[in-house]
Amino acid sequence: MSATAAPDRTPPARAARPLDAGGVRSRFRAPQATIDPDRDKSWVRRALPVVKAHKVTLVTALTLSFVGLVLQVQIPNLLNEAVTNSLQHHTVALSHYVTLVFALAVGAGASAYVARLFLLRTAYAMEFDLRNIIYAHLTRMSFAFYDRVQSGQLISRANSDIRSVQMYLTFAPSILVQCAVALVAFGYMLSINVPLAFVAMATTPLVYFSSVRMRKQIFPVSWLIQQRLADVATIVDENINGVRVVKSFVAEPRELRTLAGAADRLKWAYIRDADIRARFTPTVQNLPQLGLALVLIFGGWLVIHGHLQVGAILAFSAYITMLQPPFQLLGMLIMLGQRAKASAGRIYQILDEAPTVTDRPDATALTHCEGDVSFAAVSFAYGDGTEVLHDFTLHLRPGETVAMVGRTASGKTTVSRLLPRFYDVTGGALEVDGHDVRDLTLASLRSQTGVVLDEPFLFTASLRENIAYGRPDASLPEIEAAARAAGAERFIAELPDGYDTVVGERGYTLSGGQRQRVAIARTLLVNPPILVLDDATSAVDVQVEQEIHEGLRVLMAGRTTLVVAHRLSTIGLADRVVLLDGGRIVADGTHAELLQSTPLYVEVLAQVEEADRQARRAGAEDDEIGRP
Amino acid sequence: MSFGGGTVSGGAFGRAGGSRAAAAPGGGLPFAGIPPELQEGVDRLLATEPEHPEPSARFSHRATDDGGVHLTLRGLIFRHWRLGATAGLLVTIVSVTNQAGPKLIDIGIDSGMTGPHKSFGVVALVGVIFLAAIVVTALAQRGQARVTGRLAASVMNDLRVRVFSQLQRLGLDYFTSEQSGVIMTRMTSDIENLQQLLQDGLAQLVVQALTMVVILAVLFTMNVTLTLITIALVIPWLTAASLWFRAASERGYDRVRDGIAGVLADLSESLHGVRTVVANNREAHNIVAHRNVVGDYRAANNYTAQINAIYGPATQLLGYLGQGALLAIGGHMVARHELSIGTLIAFFLYLNRFFAPIQLLVAQYNTLQQGQSSLIKLRTLFALAPSTPQAPAATELPPIAGEIVFDHVTFGYDPARPVIEDVNLTIRAGETVAFVGQTGAGKSTLAKLITRFYDPAQGRVLIDGHDLRDVTLDSLRRQLGVVPQEPFLFAGTLRYNIAFASPDCTDGEVWEAVRAVGLADVVQRMAQGLDTEVHERGQSLSSGERQLIALARAFLAYPRVLVLDEATSNLDLLSETKIEAALDVLLEQRTAVLIAHRLTTAMKADRIVVVDDGRIVESGSHAELVARGGRYAGMYATWISHSERAA
Repeated sequence: MSATAAPDRTPPARAARPLDAGGVRSRFRAPQATIDPDRDKSWVRRALPVVKAHKVTLVTALTLSFVGLVLQVQIPNLLNEAVTNSLQHHTVALSHYVTLVFALAVGAGASAYVARLFLLRTAYAMEFDLRNIIYAHLTRMSFAFYDRVQSGQLISRANSDIRSVQMYLTFAPSILVQCAVALVAFGYMLSINVPLAFVAMATTPLVYFSSVRMRKQIFPVSWLIQQRLADVATIVDENINGVRVVKSFVAEPRELRTLAGAADRLKWAYIRDADIRARFTPTVQNLPQLGLALVLIFGGWLVIHGHLQVGAILAFSAYITMLQPPFQLLGMLIMLGQRAKASAGRIYQILDEAPTVTDRPDATALTHCEGDVSFAAVSFAYGDGTEVLHDFTLHLRPGETVAMVGRTASGKTTVSRLLPRFYDVTGGALEVDGHDVRDLTLASLRSQTGVVLDEPFLFTASLRENIAYGRPDASLPEIEAAARAAGAERFIAELPDGYDTVVGERGYTLSGGQRQRVAIARTLLVNPPILVLDDATSAVDVQVEQEIHEGLRVLMAGRTTLVVAHRLSTIGLADRVVLLDGGRIVADGTHAELLQSTPLYVEVLAQVEEADRQARRAGAEDDEIGRP
Repeated sequence: MSFGGGTVSGGAFGRAGGSRAAAAPGGGLPFAGIPPELQEGVDRLLATEPEHPEPSARFSHRATDDGGVHLTLRGLIFRHWRLGATAGLLVTIVSVTNQAGPKLIDIGIDSGMTGPHKSFGVVALVGVIFLAAIVVTALAQRGQARVTGRLAASVMNDLRVRVFSQLQRLGLDYFTSEQSGVIMTRMTSDIENLQQLLQDGLAQLVVQALTMVVILAVLFTMNVTLTLITIALVIPWLTAASLWFRAASERGYDRVRDGIAGVLADLSESLHGVRTVVANNREAHNIVAHRNVVGDYRAANNYTAQINAIYGPATQLLGYLGQGALLAIGGHMVARHELSIGTLIAFFLYLNRFFAPIQLLVAQYNTLQQGQSSLIKLRTLFALAPSTPQAPAATELPPIAGEIVFDHVTFGYDPARPVIEDVNLTIRAGETVAFVGQTGAGKSTLAKLITRFYDPAQGRVLIDGHDLRDVTLDSLRRQLGVVPQEPFLFAGTLRYNIAFASPDCTDGEVWEAVRAVGLADVVQRMAQGLDTEVHERGQSLSSGERQLIALARAFLAYPRVLVLDEATSNLDLLSETKIEAALDVLLEQRTAVLIAHRLTTAMKADRIVVVDDGRIVESGSHAELVARGGRYAGMYATWISHSERAA
């Protein structure tokens, strides 16, 4: 992307999609720029398009900041002149200076207000952009990526990394402006008295060096403190969640010792932190005072010998106070720059990773889908290289239900993940209605393929929204019909707020069977011609399982269905059974046929049957025995 | 520090600039580890860390923390009164010496530079005194920072141990009635708030307040009229602005906090539910939804930006307007010879210095308030009494045979709604009894009464004839083994987890337990064997393996009585078989109480107790109960029919 990205010319690829698809109206404008994909550029240059998207506010902020500071710089000099001209020599009326001070104060205040407001807004706008850019990118990433990364850390890292990049991008220019103003102030001091100006400034470089050294030493301690706070938190967390184990095994004294040890280490880190701050902060704070003392002595000598007016002492002391922050900030800027560089590196690492499963440029949409699915000599290996499927061939006629049976790690689940193109085959081809799935658009393929996962995920939202997850524009009667068909109607009616009950991680907790039924309703509502079903492995009691199966029968009717079967009863739903072993199909036929012909099937089935019997507990996952 | 001019700190930059504020635990985010680029610095730092002595904290159910209810900042500091007194002394020195400058300049100008007797000697003397004052200030500041740092760290260390001890004393009811996040906050952010307050806030607060007092005092000695005029001109406006800022920024930060929580929750859910998102073609939709959440967060931030942008420049403006007014009024006084030029200059300088503390005071005031509210929460925690207290006269429970008696026991979590009503049951020593019944029937509650996680409201629970309330908790629980429904694994090695009950046991004993439950081949397959680290509560292990580890843990404790809540998670066949075998070993020669969720498990028990609605409705062996044709027989018939139909 060119560095002068005009908003209309280079929208990010994601933004080109119909963003209001699916009922959510965007209340905010999408980011107008994205990170430069050229990896050879420096991190700042790569981020430049995002900065430039906000150049109007940023430049306004910087300009006004400069103006405000320059106005402010005049005031000490005015006071100096007022003392000299009005109070000592009575050449100019005092009111002249008073008026000027008032005018400058108002001008400086107004510019400072706008400058600060715009600067902060720019910072937050860039944070907004970065967060959205990263989110959009993460959303596009393929499953292989999510197999590798840990979400919790990803979020945590992304959060602090975005902060540090955004801070540097906004505040670095602002600090530079302040340093420029420092030069102006220094110019004023020079114009009053050259030697005195140098004396006054003699200590300022030390302010800079001290603050650089301090940050350098503080950063590791701060992180150590973070780590040790996290250690303490982990111990506490375990003692809260594992309280029954701790109490049962009389481990309270030991846990207290562990905690006390962690607290001791934390205390040490805190004391180190305090000591480092103690070494530097007083120095940094008092160096300018030292300059002032020197000004008093040397300036006094100049005044006595008639080379300087008394008011200059006042002006100098004000300038010294004014010059202190920019130099402190300059020291901070360098550390922030190093951090921001590392943070940007990690962010770019995510953004530079291209999704592996994407639309081909000439991909066509799968519009009318009959539901003919064919795996032709498919092989597949996950990222780590171990081949899971080898020469896997299977044909599903439209409307047919095929159950896959096999031992653990036989490849059943992998097959179910290939059909909606969660992964791409590494060899052979997977065809739907005669189209290689890689020639179809992802969106169209997935809208024709319903997936019911073994562990259904519910979002923190109302049941209504969860059921309508694949079709957010569905009407309430449609949602209710889907819930009814999935056998979810009754328990929903019993919930406190019915369809408006908020479920999910931060909402009402549903049982495994209930979640499963919501997932079935969700898929029914989308009404896809092809269905992939990973049989639930979580415990469900007989009653619930029957209800689920009734839901499934409704769901499967008239659809091409591929079932990963973990239970005997699920096999009963299928027209045909295939037996997988070692990543390929070793037997194919009806349940009865396979029982006759294939000893391995009988063996696997015996295992499934036994596991099934175990799963068929008289109680549900909570505590239920003997429901009628 | 300043942006766009001014001297306000605590703007967006100041807040987020310190890495201290980043990723505090308890904020809902996991600690992502030390960034690699800083690892080297941290390692160098760690090389200087001495061995810490063995912590002296001791836990006992007998000891109580009576002082906790009256927890105050003063009381906490008083335990380290030497540090507190030193800090107070140093703070006073700083406040005085730090304000010497302008007064000295005043003397230097009036006595050395202007007037009839110009003298460099006076100027030089004053300058040297000034230099000396600066050195004293810096040294005192340094000493104060070191002292308050130690004070804060020590007080927080005390507090962490005390709060944790209190948590350990509290009964299970506290942990079930309070959200774990809230309990966590007591030990994390509540204590950290106080840490910040003590390390920096309190000293700053005192320094700033003293500074203002010192400045006013000096000004009064220089010129009473001008001082009164200055106060009248500046302070009302400044106070009003600061009060407004405090209220507004509190509102603002609440909004920002909600905003970021929303952003992170949405992000987290999108990543955890990514398979569902993709399968439902929701990417575009979610991008927009996320943009709305992030946009709301930005709006909250912009709101605080507005507040910061007003307050900083406004106080700065007040300062300059004050200087203008001072110039006008003071200038006239100079003209009428009521004031010297040196004093006027000193007034200007002091006025400048008068403004800095006010903004800091506002910032510190928020810290103070947070600290106070944390203290109140901690006091509430200390005020809680353990629900199963150890009687003062409690005796050690001698080695038991394992006979358990429920004697007219009634109990309810909510006293008004009993879960267990008048239960009488005797479990003989060495007997295996299975509790079966519907959800909420009370079978888990019966088990919790045996381990004295709760005390009966009426009646008694006896072990070998001892009322549980008459024996010490430690001696009781040492002889009981509990295997919860969901095995809980701690961060640490496999050995640590298995030897949880007796950490001092030998490797041989651990292996014996491992072999006894049939976990030996699994452990042998691991590269690090028993030293394998368990991460994320053992998510890398299968649920069957976790279950077996919990059984090995119970095995190693050699309990006389075993209470086992049967796991409900589905296991593969091999694990099932192994666990059944492990149970056979574990139950041998022990009194065992099984909370059975499957009839297959219940059938193996010597006796089955059917619990319904808080009462025991049937009791007997499987064969007896089936023959009796009661409720158990009904359950069994249902189960059989379902099994057959499915097959």
